[in-house]
Amino acid sequence: MEVGQMQRQWMGYMKSLFMEGFLDGQFLQLQQLQDENNPEFVVEVVSLFFEDSERILKDLSFAVDQQSVDFKKIDAHVHQFKGSSASIGAQRVKNACIAFRNFCEEQNIDACRSCLQQVKQEYIHVKNKLETLLRLEQQIVAAGGSIPMMEWN
Amino acid sequence: MATKCMHVFDRLMFSVTCWKKSSTQTGRRKFHRDVEKEEFQYASTQCLSSYYSVFVVRLAIMVMLAILIGLLTILTWHFTKIYTTKSLNSLAYDLRYELLQRPILRMWNILNSTAEITTAQVKLSEYVIRSHNKLATQEDHVEMYEAMRAVTWALFSSRKALNSITVKYGNGFVQAFHRDLKDNNTFYIYTDLAYNETSEALNDKEIHNNKTVIWYREQLDPVSGEKIGKAMKIAPEDSISIAGMSQVPDGVASWHVSVSKFTDSPLLSAALPVWDSSNKSIVAVVGVTTALYSVEQLMKELVDKHSGHMYLTSQKGYLLATSTNDPLLTNSTKKPKLKMAVDCDNEVIREGAMWLQKTYGNNFPPSHEVHVENARLGHQQYYIDSFFLNLKKLPLVGVIILPRKHIMGQADQRAFKTLVILISASLCIIVIGCVCILILTNGVSKEMNLRAELISHLEARRKAEASSNYKSQFLANMSHELRTPMAAVIGLLDILLSDDCLTNEQYATVTQIRKCSTTLLRLLNNILDLSKVESGKLVLEDAEFDLGKELEGLVDMFSVQCINHNVEIILDLSDDMPKIVRGDSDRVVQIFANLINNSIKFTLSGHIILRGWCENPNSYGDNESFTMEQKKLVCSQKTITKQHENTAKKTSNNDKKMILWFEVDDTGCGIDPSKWDSVFESFEQADLSTTRLHGGTGLGLCIVRSLVNKMGGEIKIVKKEGPGTLMRLYLRLTAPVDATEQHCQVDFANNNLVVLLALHGNMSRLITSKWLNKNGVVTMEASEWNGLTQVLKELFHAKTPTHNNDFDAHYSAHRDIWKEQINFLHKYYARAKFIWLQNHDSSNNVKTELRKKGHILTVNKPLYKAKMIHILEDVIKERNIEVQKKNTITPRTTVKESDLHESFEIDYNHCDVASSDGSDISEIGSSNPSSLYLKSNCLLGLTNEYMEQNSSRKEASVSKREKGEDSECSRVNGSTKAVNGKKSLEGLRILLAEDTVVIQRVATIMLEKMGAVVVAVGDGQQAVDALNGTLGVEDCRKESLLKERNKETSQTEILSFPAYDLILMDCQMPKMDGYEATKEIRKSEVGSGFHIPIVALTAHAMSCDEAKCLEVGMDAYLTKPIDFKLMESTILSLTKEKA
Repeated sequence: MEVGQMQRQWMGYMKSLFMEGFLDGQFLQLQQLQDENNPEFVVEVVSLFFEDSERILKDLSFAVDQQSVDFKKIDAHVHQFKGSSASIGAQRVKNACIAFRNFCEEQNIDACRSCLQQVKQEYIHVKNKLETLLRLEQQIVAAGGSIPMMEWN
Repeated sequence: MATKCMHVFDRLMFSVTCWKKSSTQTGRRKFHRDVEKEEFQYASTQCLSSYYSVFVVRLAIMVMLAILIGLLTILTWHFTKIYTTKSLNSLAYDLRYELLQRPILRMWNILNSTAEITTAQVKLSEYVIRSHNKLATQEDHVEMYEAMRAVTWALFSSRKALNSITVKYGNGFVQAFHRDLKDNNTFYIYTDLAYNETSEALNDKEIHNNKTVIWYREQLDPVSGEKIGKAMKIAPEDSISIAGMSQVPDGVASWHVSVSKFTDSPLLSAALPVWDSSNKSIVAVVGVTTALYSVEQLMKELVDKHSGHMYLTSQKGYLLATSTNDPLLTNSTKKPKLKMAVDCDNEVIREGAMWLQKTYGNNFPPSHEVHVENARLGHQQYYIDSFFLNLKKLPLVGVIILPRKHIMGQADQRAFKTLVILISASLCIIVIGCVCILILTNGVSKEMNLRAELISHLEARRKAEASSNYKSQFLANMSHELRTPMAAVIGLLDILLSDDCLTNEQYATVTQIRKCSTTLLRLLNNILDLSKVESGKLVLEDAEFDLGKELEGLVDMFSVQCINHNVEIILDLSDDMPKIVRGDSDRVVQIFANLINNSIKFTLSGHIILRGWCENPNSYGDNESFTMEQKKLVCSQKTITKQHENTAKKTSNNDKKMILWFEVDDTGCGIDPSKWDSVFESFEQADLSTTRLHGGTGLGLCIVRSLVNKMGGEIKIVKKEGPGTLMRLYLRLTAPVDATEQHCQVDFANNNLVVLLALHGNMSRLITSKWLNKNGVVTMEASEWNGLTQVLKELFHAKTPTHNNDFDAHYSAHRDIWKEQINFLHKYYARAKFIWLQNHDSSNNVKTELRKKGHILTVNKPLYKAKMIHILEDVIKERNIEVQKKNTITPRTTVKESDLHESFEIDYNHCDVASSDGSDISEIGSSNPSSLYLKSNCLLGLTNEYMEQNSSRKEASVSKREKGEDSECSRVNGSTKAVNGKKSLEGLRILLAEDTVVIQRVATIMLEKMGAVVVAVGDGQQAVDALNGTLGVEDCRKESLLKERNKETSQTEILSFPAYDLILMDCQMPKMDGYEATKEIRKSEVGSGFHIPIVALTAHAMSCDEAKCLEVGMDAYLTKPIDFKLMESTILSLTKEKA
């Protein structure tokens, strides 16, 4: 009973994440990749993403506050961030990164700063959401249930 | 006059403007019909304003002209007239003066002679009287009187002009001689002597009043003076005037004018006293009268000659003489009297005198001289001149009246004529000038109108161009913006498709949507390209690239589509094409991609050939007149000869820019010759109805032409025999000097090879065999199964089996037949090498079967030169190995069979990503769904013929298979991807170079799911390092793979096995990026003959990135986020070919 409820809750949560655009199909692919051989795959990738993102964001904050801004470097960072966020399906972060890159090309430092804030914001959002989701999953697993297959419709 | 002129001018101008208005109105009416209303209004206002300005200018010019010419006329006339008049006037004055002077001189003469005679008479009288100073008696008196009479007669007769001479003595006696001019009689008149003594007084009154005085008159002979008649008494009133004492009161000579009844003309009389010897008393008075008749005569003569009138008056105005015959005296019954000039009978003289009197009255100027030139008398104009002759006691005034006409008549007439001529001439000039101005300014105004129109047109054109430019920019921006959501749509559709919960219908719909979206995206890309070219932003890269390889890749790409359409696609590049050229590879590929795409669209059956050859810089000129065949021959001969020559010579040729010719030849529906030029315009299609059938926007060819032109080339459609279209283009590309390698390093001719081409496609077989023959390889052909078997039998049963042959067979097998066919061919396995040509959708069963039998050499369709060379090289190499192995007696077949079992495990489910692909197969099922290119020492072949014979059976099976694959597909999308119980990438070793850990991890797991062994590195440098160790041990790779399969593979273990089948390369990495790394790897591969497939991983979604990837030597291209299925199929397509 408990497990079923949690599963339903999980389903609802996933749905909301997709509806609100935090995640996209890529995340589903990740989940599909998870199997007996790699039972912790999603968690692993997501935590990798978190580590990577923290590092990149730190670098970005540093680069943006620099006296002479190296837009190429910023662009490279954002590009990387975009790639990794796209790979786990963090759609909103990815979109923010795309906007960020455009301003980078224009060399608009003010817009870049605001974009960085936006990216950070999105990242924190998605991080919270993902952490909640993963916690829920852990609870399901701990309760002996299995994570249901998400259907995208 | 001037005002009249102006009036006429105004009238003229008015009529002209009226005419102009009417003409412009008709012009406008015409205009109206053609042009829109608004435009017309605009033009008319424009026209009106310019028309007014022109009108004003015209008017000003005309007025100026009129003034100029008027002034000129007046000046001319004035000078002509003034000088003429002046000279004439002076002449006339002289004449008048002269004329008047003469009568006055005559008058003067008369006066003088009268005075002389009077003086003479006085002197004679004095002498006679003195000599008779003692008059005592009557007889003395008589004697003295007789003497006096004689003296007086002498004087009188000597002067014929004299009228009379009178002598009156102091005693009252009078002696007188008188000539009657009327009847020419001469008389002697005297008084009675007896009476004299009684009246002593010399008083005139007394004498006249004395009635006792008796006058006697005697007629005398005018010549001798003898008495002719008797003395007769006459009445005193009949007597002539006798000068008495009263006329000489002071003893001085006196003058006066008198009249007598005997003459018509006035008489001039002079009187002088005769003094006695003591000079104290007057003893007698002498009077002389002279007629003025001669003056009158002279005047008449003069006037006859010169016309006009003359007259002389006394100071008081009494007429003395006139030039007319009118009487000068009043004809009263009493004593005749002198007439005043104003009373003269002659009209002219009277009026002249009245005019003078009216003008001057009594106040004549001191000299009494008057010269008037324009006195109007009656109806004529006259000159009036008067002169004053101041004689002592008798001042005279002479007046001459000459009609002006007489002197100035001619001049006046001339002047008038001249004036008329001048005015008419100047009027003519003005009129002509005005007309000229009208005509000239008409041109100017027309020009102004035209110019205004031109300016407005230019303005409109500029606006249009600007708007077109805006349009391009807008399109460029828009399409860029549209692409992003489109990519998202496609991505989402992919996700949807990968869901296995869709019903078949939904699946079909979504697939359709995905197709449409892809098409839309392609269209957007086209528009972007076009607007880029149009706005001139397109910059061509200049980098070295392998042209042949690019084109081969292109043909490979399109072959799938072509096979589905049952169309052959053939790449036919001549041997002299440079391998490496400089240019923009991406754009070159785009050109051909568009052209081939276009051809495929319109070709339903037959073939599409992409030909390429190089124009030798020496042989410019009428290359186009060559037919293809000739050209090929020439090219090939050249190549063959050159192969044996020193290659250095060739390099010097390739140093320059070269012209590369290409042709895309298809057997489609063709293009109407009238549209050959227009198809290259944007949005232009040869037949609008085809849009419905084939789709497309008509942008493709436009882009192609823009690009070709940009590369210094040209494209046009050339007439070809038979159906279809032949597009011919040339590009100017530079070939680097060092890049001229020899294409055919192996001389096949010496290897004694025999090739049997068992290909279904006629065109490709023809071209391939031609090429092989050219290179000295014996070639045989078979187009269908029966032919193949026949040739095989002939070859191997007639000849010794040890004969070294080399055959290609085109294998098209199906269902039940194919197995038998393979078995049949397998009989020749030992004697020939089979190269199996397979389609992208060849069924797995066939492949498995082949692999089982040990036919490991497969090549994907289509077959082209580079593949052929590769095959031949392999065969030769293998044969050499075999020769060596024969010595060691190693069972070759077993080894191969076992390892190939693994390496050819290929899952073709990617072909069925779209369900429509499956349906395509069922439709075109009669074509060869699977074919293998087989090469061995034996010869085997299967043809399509069998398929056709068994078509019904096959179709059924196809549909069955389709269903099976559908389910397979859906399963693939789930966690299990194995088809037939196997993982798709089982046994492949993949090197993953990716710096982003997340992606690295995701990709690793994905690949591992598919069964591949993955080695992940963090950057390009590591990738290169990881690979460098492997190349050396490539040969032993198969053995190691065998071993490896038996182990449980783990990542750490994999690292110790540095042999890779494929590299996944992220483009943007720290230290060394993907491009660099690829270049490095390719460099190290040069000469080794190996070619590791490298797949790019990039987040850049631009097509230029793709081009860049391919340019540096990567084989394929994947975008992030990684699409599971796309990655799988890409890897498969690359690895299976290699294996």
